[in-house]
Amino acid sequence: MKAAPDVLIVDDNPADVSLVCEALSGSKHRSRINSVGDGVEAMALLNRRDKYVNAIRPDLVILDLNLPKKDGLAVLAAIKAGPDLRRIPVVIFSTSQLRQDIVRSYELGANCYVAKPGNLNDFFFAVKSIEEFWFGFVNLPPRGK
Amino acid sequence: MSSTGTQLATQSSAQVKTKLCAVLVEDNRLDAELILHELRRDGFDVSAQVVQDEAGFTKALLTHRPEVVLADYNLPNWKGMETLDVLRREGLDIPMILVSGALGDVTAVECIKRGATDYVLKDGLARLPEAIRHALREKHERSLRHQVEENLARKVDELARSNADLEQFAYVASHDLQEPLRMVTAYTQLLAERYRGKLDENADKFIGYASEGAQRMQVLIQDLLAFSRVGRNGSVRVSVDCNVVMKDVLLALAPAIRESDAVVTHPQLPSVWADRTQVTQVFQNLIGNALKFRGKEPPKVSVQAEGAGDRWLFSVSDNGIGIAPEYRETIFVVFQRLHARNEYPGNGIGLAICKKIVERHGGKIWVESQAGSGSTFKFTLPDRSAADEETENRKDAEKVMVKA
Repeated sequence: MKAAPDVLIVDDNPADVSLVCEALSGSKHRSRINSVGDGVEAMALLNRRDKYVNAIRPDLVILDLNLPKKDGLAVLAAIKAGPDLRRIPVVIFSTSQLRQDIVRSYELGANCYVAKPGNLNDFFFAVKSIEEFWFGFVNLPPRGK
Repeated sequence: MSSTGTQLATQSSAQVKTKLCAVLVEDNRLDAELILHELRRDGFDVSAQVVQDEAGFTKALLTHRPEVVLADYNLPNWKGMETLDVLRREGLDIPMILVSGALGDVTAVECIKRGATDYVLKDGLARLPEAIRHALREKHERSLRHQVEENLARKVDELARSNADLEQFAYVASHDLQEPLRMVTAYTQLLAERYRGKLDENADKFIGYASEGAQRMQVLIQDLLAFSRVGRNGSVRVSVDCNVVMKDVLLALAPAIRESDAVVTHPQLPSVWADRTQVTQVFQNLIGNALKFRGKEPPKVSVQAEGAGDRWLFSVSDNGIGIAPEYRETIFVVFQRLHARNEYPGNGIGLAICKKIVERHGGKIWVESQAGSGSTFKFTLPDRSAADEETENRKDAEKVMVKA
């Protein structure tokens, strides 16, 4: 059996984090979910700084755009600029449907952009589809050191 | 002689006199006296400063603040016409009248061309008072006109700014409202799914209402976003073939047309100069409404176009429920609905969007209808030939800019 994949959710809204966990609970991929509430924390975890010295590098980052301290685009840029980090797929998961947010995200190297659906069932479907696509369909790179 | 000149002033006598503040550029003391005498005789209460060179003139402008400049053509140390350069340099709009010996027609015309307001011969000083009055009247009218123009420009500017602010506000508000609303929607739905039948009957009903309200608000916000987007995105005007537009619209509305057993007809339609997406939206909203607000009979919708000068007049007619005359205006206002939500679904945004789009294209939209006897929506859009005009205008604007 494959090792359970690790997902890092970067979102300042605990309600959304909880919805994502809700959506993935009981899925066959058994994703392990970790979450942080702002961009600075996200970078600390990914770079294993401070209290995150023993943190596991995630297999997938689900990144909100509107974040305190360091916004989602800055986190995205930092991930894609890091030689160790850039291989990690980043899914932008934001309420925003602004064209400039979408374009900017892809320009900065986002692996895909999904707008958070307003309807609960659509939301669940979106999250489950993200999980299924990246962990059930795609060939991921071996996990970094 | 001092270059600051001599103060020559008289106080008003018993009769009502017009106050006049003048600077005389004159080296001949006697001529200056004659000029002032002529003005006083005509009823001017003159306060005058006489100067004869550039330094004196510049200083007198500041200290004396004249309403009119009377300048001799030839001076020993200066030229009367150069007063115009000084006035221009100081940014002053003060009429300058040449008061001089005979100059000859060619020179006189040249002086007027260069900006002198008038030219009065020293032999014909009797004409001077009227020349001054005329010059002052003209200046007054000029400044009034200038003021009106300035006011108008400011108003237009203010209006444009407040419109832009409003667009921005609507956009930001609706965008930022979405996030918290999404939470309400999602969690009431989750509540409903997970706890249906586990609480009492009322709880299910309340959760249902909350969930319904949140979902409706979500649609409203989406609509508001769509409405404000019409103004925000700079639209690209191209030649749009309305036959192609109709094909797209009929495809998009195919399910509704099938369901209502409707017939939508149109003859060969013209091409217009417009934003393709927006024109499609207008046709789709109007035809969609015609299908939605149907009577008992299956909907019959007819789209027509006729030329109206440099624009096309389109009409979308149906055999639906019609609109009472008193609602002909309100139906175009955002979120105005005439029917209960359970009678006819919708939020009352469609026609508001149509109106905004048509008006952005410089056109008009209106409805001709009677309750119970169908509706005809009419609107105008610029003809394809407007493209040439637009290019011409742009060329003109460029010419002006080069000139400026």
